Amino acid sequence: MQYNGGSIVAMVGKNCVAIASDLRLGNQALTIATDFEKVFPITDRIYLGMAGLATDVLTLRERFRFRVNMYSIKEEREIEPKTLAQLVSSTLYERRFGPYFIEPIIAGLTDSSKGSQPFIASADLIGCLNFAKDFVVVGTAEDKLLGVAEGLWEPDLEPEDLFETISQTLLNAVDRDAFSGWGAVVHVITPDKVITRTLKGRMD
Amino acid sequence: MSHYTRTQSQQHPTQRQFNPYTENGGTILAIAGADFSVIAGDTRQSEGYSIQTRYAPKVFKLTDKAVLAVNGFAADGNMFVKKVKQRLEWYRHAHSKDMPLRSIARLIQTMLYAQRFFPYYVYNILGGIEEDGTGAVYSFDPVGSYEREACRAAGSAQSLVQPFLDNQIYFKNQTPVLGTSHPTHLPLRHVVQLVIDSFTSATERHIEVGDGVELYIILARGRGTQGLDSFKDVQELTPHAEGERLFVLRRELKKD
Amino acid sequence: MANADGGAYSYSLTVFSPSGKLVQIEHALAAVAQGTTSLGIKATNGIVIATEKKSSSILIDSSMLDKVSIICPNIGFVYSGMGPDFRILVNSARKSAQAYWKMYGEYPPTRVLTQEIASVMQKATQSGGVRPYGVSLLVAGWDANRGPSLYQVDPSGSFWAWKASAIGKNMVNAKTFLEKRYNDDISLEDAIHTALLTLKEGFEGQMTEKTIEIGIITVPELNSFGEQEKEGGETGRPKPAFRKLTEEEVRDYLAL
Repeated sequence: MQYNGGSIVAMVGKNCVAIASDLRLGNQALTIATDFEKVFPITDRIYLGMAGLATDVLTLRERFRFRVNMYSIKEEREIEPKTLAQLVSSTLYERRFGPYFIEPIIAGLTDSSKGSQPFIASADLIGCLNFAKDFVVVGTAEDKLLGVAEGLWEPDLEPEDLFETISQTLLNAVDRDAFSGWGAVVHVITPDKVITRTLKGRMD
Repeated sequence: MSHYTRTQSQQHPTQRQFNPYTENGGTILAIAGADFSVIAGDTRQSEGYSIQTRYAPKVFKLTDKAVLAVNGFAADGNMFVKKVKQRLEWYRHAHSKDMPLRSIARLIQTMLYAQRFFPYYVYNILGGIEEDGTGAVYSFDPVGSYEREACRAAGSAQSLVQPFLDNQIYFKNQTPVLGTSHPTHLPLRHVVQLVIDSFTSATERHIEVGDGVELYIILARGRGTQGLDSFKDVQELTPHAEGERLFVLRRELKKD
Repeated sequence: MANADGGAYSYSLTVFSPSGKLVQIEHALAAVAQGTTSLGIKATNGIVIATEKKSSSILIDSSMLDKVSIICPNIGFVYSGMGPDFRILVNSARKSAQAYWKMYGEYPPTRVLTQEIASVMQKATQSGGVRPYGVSLLVAGWDANRGPSLYQVDPSGSFWAWKASAIGKNMVNAKTFLEKRYNDDISLEDAIHTALLTLKEGFEGQMTEKTIEIGIITVPELNSFGEQEKEGGETGRPKPAFRKLTEEEVRDYLAL
């Protein structure tokens, strides 16, 4: 997990969710790239983030793209966040004894016909799911993220306030982590749009 | 034949080693204001996954204007505090006054570095009032490197608390409204609330933090108690209102 | 030429006859047409599937015979044709449902399960060394996405969704009967009675709780949050949407 570095956080707001990641890609202590995104759209209202070994992040992004596409074709509908979480979990557990070195985070809204409920979840590298109601964090700054999020997060934040909260949480946490940082990307998912913003942070 | 019966002589001597150190968990935290200083620590003491006691103080009054928090190996910490107190008493006998805060900080460095090759396994944070009446926090590593700062967290939940403090005390990653600036020092009431919130958060997410928190608040000479009045059960440790005043505030934390 | 029916083409499964037919599949359909009648009706609030259960001797304990099978909590099968072939399909459908559950944490929608079992049946029309399954299936299921749905699968692997359908010996008459009786806002209770009436047409012998089997889909009720109740009691298993009627329940419906 320390090899390439990187951190992700997701938070629940009022009828919205947010997911944010840093942009650093490192080779141990050496920073290689500062535009490495770790969060990917799965559907219009579900995002999947993966922190850990970068090669596995890219491999799994394609694997999940394949599996989700197969799912939508077979079922003739978009996948639900909860189902995606299960799919991610089982895909990771398939490699129980030779795992992908990534920890995933899922953030999304449920189908609008079912009330568009906010949903977040995280898992460990072999797929043990954590359905939190408030926020989830993964990556090399996970302890720092937890500390700040625990201090800053509050229930029922509106999209703009949630954006501010998740951004402050991420930036301040990664500033204390040598393996994460170099700017951030934040996605705020609301029932009618996704707000994506790229942030500048400390570049060191 | 002898090939099979030689096992006795083939046994290697096993290496055993005594480890003189233990990590006893917990977290300490100090924040300096313009004319006050707050030093706090939780009261849980643990070894591995076992809780040894729910009340083991990590924050100690040195003088009326100096408080020392120690975190790491509790036995070393207690012994270290004892020796610092002894040196301060000798100072009083020789000079008929309390040692100034900056001098205590330098003394602690000397004492820690004296044990450079068998260190006290302890992180120290010293808080108090300088001779010029300003609030001060000094933080040390186990072998005596030290620095004066406005705020510092140490111990097992340092990584959880410090970035939160960066944000809330130093206003890191926050841009002030155009034409204004961030305050350099926060009011006392605000600081005390931040310290309590920090420990509540750390308790929530770290297994070695919890049970209770003790906050020592040192007010500069002549400063009123404004900012402290909104908190219940604040106990004063100094006998009179002349000179620096020292208060302690205790709060329960979750015990799970 | 081997015989008048299909000539040389009737033996090799994987060879088309010049007229474009796979004769073995036609034979499989003939086997289905010899089987006892089964039928299914989709109602506004559920589905009923029913079949006639005939035993060749009065000495057979017919209570051990299962012609309506539960696949997973939200899906059930009934068949006409060859019993042993049906059991193979039930087994593979159950495995398929569990595999889906392992992957997605929920049971498959009716359409997906139907597709999977249809592809199992299709494989038997194209692989070497096997014969087609001698059964037609009626699949009754409920899922959150499409609600209740009723499918028929034939030995060729083709499948359709029905509002009401019948398979087996008396299928032509039964379908004509259903066409007259069916309307779009039929309730489950009415559908069960219609099913019994349809079976009664051309039923040989006495219709009792021992000689028919009924399975129903009941649409799970919404809880106060507008969600389908999923977790059931201590086991955490989903509340079944498909269940077989007990002999007592069947007797009560027959008595009405």
